[in-house]
Amino acid sequence: MKARFILSLILVSLGLVAAILPQKKNSSIELDAQQLLNEIQQENHLISTDEMANALINNDPEYQLIDLRSETEYKQYSLPGSINIPFEKLFDAEWAPYIDQIARKNVFYSNGTTLSSEAWMLTKQRGFKNNYILQGGLNEWYTTIIEPEVPASINGEEAINDYEARLGAKQFFTGAGAVNNASANTDAKKPVARKKKKMVAGGCS
Amino acid sequence: MGPIIPLFEISEEINLLIAFLIGIGFGFALEQAGFSSSRKLAGMFYGYDITVLKVFFTAAIVAMLGLLFMNYMGMIDMSIVYVNEYYMASAIIGGVIMGAGFIIGGFCPGTSVCAAAIGKIDAMYFIGGSLIGILIFGQTYPLWEKLYNAQYLGSLKLSDSLGIKDGILGLLVIVAAILMFWLGELAEKRFKREDISKEI
Repeated sequence: MKARFILSLILVSLGLVAAILPQKKNSSIELDAQQLLNEIQQENHLISTDEMANALINNDPEYQLIDLRSETEYKQYSLPGSINIPFEKLFDAEWAPYIDQIARKNVFYSNGTTLSSEAWMLTKQRGFKNNYILQGGLNEWYTTIIEPEVPASINGEEAINDYEARLGAKQFFTGAGAVNNASANTDAKKPVARKKKKMVAGGCS
Repeated sequence: MGPIIPLFEISEEINLLIAFLIGIGFGFALEQAGFSSSRKLAGMFYGYDITVLKVFFTAAIVAMLGLLFMNYMGMIDMSIVYVNEYYMASAIIGGVIMGAGFIIGGFCPGTSVCAAAIGKIDAMYFIGGSLIGILIFGQTYPLWEKLYNAQYLGSLKLSDSLGIKDGILGLLVIVAAILMFWLGELAEKRFKREDISKEI
């Protein structure tokens, strides 16, 4: 009888403590402001135009370019293989399988980097993975890939090598056979959707 | 911080392996509690043995307190913990059918597997019966579909529907459990059955 009494007492007191404790909401998915700040400072989310050009030339299936500009702008000019998700439709259900997935690296781009940075922060904060930013956006794409600047002779060998690679890329993106408009290859495959976290089935004895 | 095992980051095979290990643990605990004996299980209905009540409520209280404290310490994200969906109509009807099956067959689905594992023939028949029932239900599902999905209330928590804090509900459940244990032990004395062996 005594053991029963002690056990009951322990349980009730634990229950009392639980009742007094304030209710807390944890989220393992969403990032708080400090975590987001750290992520931004690490700069792991930036993909340079050279890196992207190289991936496109090699037909790297790992990357999925996402154009955040309006549909008209996208139709005028877009990067090969990109899909158009206008910024205001970023969280539409239609695009969820693209921006919330674990299969490919999404590279956001816009004219500058405002839209892409905002999109990256919003998706990052919601805990989506595999989203990146094209560094400098289309403006930088133009000044580095389409019209690369001739390095001054004072720059080292590395700069010359970069320049040559960019000239090659320029030829690829603007030269014979390469088409840069929306009619080009945009048959982006739908990536495997991230598994829903709530799909665990419950069961009783 | 987060789930102890992030389900969506491990492979399906590892996931099944973990489920397998947990399943073995669950079966072992059921067997150790004496739940492979239909005498013990039926005792809950007739009032001469309330082990079932004690085991399940103790398990529920321990798990509940664990979740409450882990949540308070930021060790678990309750928003992605699975909460069984509540279909009111099928919960009531299913509960009645399960209760009737429990007292007629002497097992519940989980304990029948436990008992079959230690070689009880009645439990094997019970499993066969459940499988036939599942087959019939599956084949005639369109007939029941409407009833089955009626009054869907989603992943509802009791504390949310009552509008009280999780912790306070926890305390109420503990108090209720202790009262039930106490009443149950009185019932055990009142409905004592000397003719029923305590042996498994």
